[in-house]
Amino acid sequence: MLILVRLIIVAAMWLGLAATAQDEPVDERILLTFIPNVQFAPFYVGIEDGYFADAGFNVSLAYLQEPEVLDLIAVGQANFGIVSGEQVILARSRGRDVVYVFEWFQKYPVGLVFSSALDLSDLANLKGMTIGIPGRFGASYSGLTTILGSAGLTEADIDLREIGFNAPEVFCLGVIDAAVVYVNNEPLQIKNLAADGDCGAVSDVDVITVASQVDLVSNGLIVSRALLEEDPDTVARMVAGLASALRSVIDNPASAYLASLAHVDSLPADEALLNALESAAEEQLEFLASAPDRGDIARSRRQLAADLSERFERGALTQLNVLLNTIELWDAENIGYSDLSSWEAMRDTLDSMGFLEDDAGSLQDMFTNRFVTGADR
Amino acid sequence: MTLSLRELSVSFRDPSGCALPALGPISFDVKEQEFVCVVGPTGCGKSTLIRVLAGLLPASSGAALCEGALIDRPMNQFAIMFQDANLMPWRTVLDNIALPLEIAGVSRSSRYETVRALLPQLHLEGFESAYPAALSGGMEQRVALGRVLVQQPRVVLLDEPFGALDALTRENLGRLLLRLRQRYTQTIVMVTHDINEAVLLADRVIVMSRGPGRLVADVSVDLPRPRTHDMIYHQAFLTLTKRIRASIDDLSA
Amino acid sequence: MGAGSTLRRISPFLTIACLLLLWQWISARGIISHILVPPPTDVYQAFTDSLADGALLKHTLVTLEEMFFGLLLGVGIGLAIGYAIAKAPILENILSPVIVAFQSTPIVAYAPLLVIWFGSGIASKIVTTAVIVFFPTLVNTIVGLRSVSPNLRDLMRSLKAGRWQIFRHLEAPSALPVILAGLKTSTTLAVIGAVVGEFVSQGSGLGYLVTSARNLYDTPLVVVAVFTMTAISLSLYGIVAYVEWRFLVWQRRSSA
Repeated sequence: MLILVRLIIVAAMWLGLAATAQDEPVDERILLTFIPNVQFAPFYVGIEDGYFADAGFNVSLAYLQEPEVLDLIAVGQANFGIVSGEQVILARSRGRDVVYVFEWFQKYPVGLVFSSALDLSDLANLKGMTIGIPGRFGASYSGLTTILGSAGLTEADIDLREIGFNAPEVFCLGVIDAAVVYVNNEPLQIKNLAADGDCGAVSDVDVITVASQVDLVSNGLIVSRALLEEDPDTVARMVAGLASALRSVIDNPASAYLASLAHVDSLPADEALLNALESAAEEQLEFLASAPDRGDIARSRRQLAADLSERFERGALTQLNVLLNTIELWDAENIGYSDLSSWEAMRDTLDSMGFLEDDAGSLQDMFTNRFVTGADR
Repeated sequence: MTLSLRELSVSFRDPSGCALPALGPISFDVKEQEFVCVVGPTGCGKSTLIRVLAGLLPASSGAALCEGALIDRPMNQFAIMFQDANLMPWRTVLDNIALPLEIAGVSRSSRYETVRALLPQLHLEGFESAYPAALSGGMEQRVALGRVLVQQPRVVLLDEPFGALDALTRENLGRLLLRLRQRYTQTIVMVTHDINEAVLLADRVIVMSRGPGRLVADVSVDLPRPRTHDMIYHQAFLTLTKRIRASIDDLSA
Repeated sequence: MGAGSTLRRISPFLTIACLLLLWQWISARGIISHILVPPPTDVYQAFTDSLADGALLKHTLVTLEEMFFGLLLGVGIGLAIGYAIAKAPILENILSPVIVAFQSTPIVAYAPLLVIWFGSGIASKIVTTAVIVFFPTLVNTIVGLRSVSPNLRDLMRSLKAGRWQIFRHLEAPSALPVILAGLKTSTTLAVIGAVVGEFVSQGSGLGYLVTSARNLYDTPLVVVAVFTMTAISLSLYGIVAYVEWRFLVWQRRSSA
């Protein structure tokens, strides 16, 4: 009798184990850059709203510098990471065999911020100006080189100052005419400072984006070639999960902001704002049920920003507005898709900067769109 | 120069602020060019006495006088020698002896000349450029003695200068002191706990009691000069040392 | 000199040679990916390349300049405040909250603030260096001055030495060994200060060379820059040790 009971228990446990082994999501770490920030909302939504779980992953996040993200993936210590496109070209030229599988930012996020009092309708006017940049590396430097190139200028025509990631402070001290920044973030901060009268003589700012000049490949998901060849299914599921999460953020930013609260400590969220966002998120769900098109959804985002700005102080909405600005850089008909021409443009930019000593190798080897077609709407 | 102590007493304060009497009240005089030794058991305030005479420590009451003037700071023409040779480890023998002259503003060449002239008497020839770490204890004290002599003082205060040395070295230094005294006659007050040494060197021996230090005996030493070490076997010497020892033993009884 | 002391003398170089061989072997066998640990031959190549195009020298000079002025400022202020505190202990009570707070906060944490306050130029790196070298100098100055023998103070008083004479003939020479020991610590810290400053606000210098080489995935050049920092650190330490050996002759004899 006892033996029978035991047998039943063992059999049940075995069956149970087998069942969970099939459904249990796999632990997977995604390497991001920078720090926890509302700009990473698609990953927070992917975790909080189950998009990664649906794809079979239990995702955790880590924040590193871009070169570290890339190297860890190249040597197989992590499977997935987010870096900007030029990193892929640079790293591949130095023997890191990684492949770019999903373009997250459809528009290159870098631009030039300057006082509205300045006339830069003709970019050639940049000649002789003092321009601040975090440093002579990374997306900012590539972006600036591209802007200068499209105006027929080179770095020698301007006075370039390396200022670290302190553009708002340094710009408002008045020591630079313009700063190379991430267009979704710093211009907003500078506008806020200017509106408070804390930005010297500057009362408002304008932005020239790199994307308005040239289509450069931007931030996206990378994997190692080894993973791509040995386990394409895992890559496909991750891309699908990220695409769904990204689409959800684009469609419902209020809900994405709420999901980000669990991951970003410093997000402003008093009770009134939370209530407003929760009801906005619910209304948005009903609106989405009516199958609106991309244009309608974009209008609904602008409406959200307008509604909230009437009810809340500017400071409380800064991070939400950063998210809304950033969504404009993500939203596209074919999310995840990167164009060969944008890779060529990036390679040419890097080449003109003298960053590509060795042969960069075939651009076609660097990226693939084979996983993203299914994510199209 | 004459020295006199008038009802001099010194007390220190313990951490709780209570006064701890260390010396006196004590009174005695030292005549011009007299050599006075102060003996007494450990803790009788001998060193305190020297520090007051040197002007390094203020009297709590009473006074120490030099030629009738109050000693309230280091006086001119006084020189002090400590139990520890108290040399500067970063200075050579030459520079250690020359220190008082350097502070007095004597030029380099003339102070070196003075010191070099002094070295043979101190048996320190050839050690001019040695550092104190390379010297024996006796040599260190000879350097310290040189540093006193170079000042050409009229009052010399010696605080158990040979206290830390072995017996033979003490005797040698004692002899050296006597020879030098013949050459440079000064008023000397020397603290020691060695009765033989006191009797052999001094014109007068002052015996002090313990806590707080008071004068218990004032013994004139009428042994002839120049004195030699052989005198310790003379009857007069033995009588004197016995008398002094008896006055100390009375204290502990 | 016997065979034993020769062995002892060359053994540090043997250690380095063995480590280099081990390193070469590990990367030649592919035990660790070249991406993580570039082989010594690649590092040597990067070294000669960066020497040839002048980049290494340029960045090294920038870092050295920052360190020089940072040391000058930090050690100068440390000596001055240290002297003041040793002379007037009440100052220690007044200043210690600020000084201890400064010291116990990691410089890396507030280096970005220094960049905002002092600009992204050389000034902010000089300040980070100065801040980091200030404390060991201060502490060693105080300890050095407080270790002055009270008997020697009495001697100087009995010789009627003035304040300046006491400083010049007693306090300075007797505090010097401790202050030089502090300076040895300070010089190695100065490299950290300058490089932390360079990491925060980019421009030039070895810290910047690390970042920019890293961003170009040029790991061999990163290693070259790091080794250069090590070399600077060791050289400065050596210079202070030499100064110590040269000026503290009396200590040499006593320890022999």
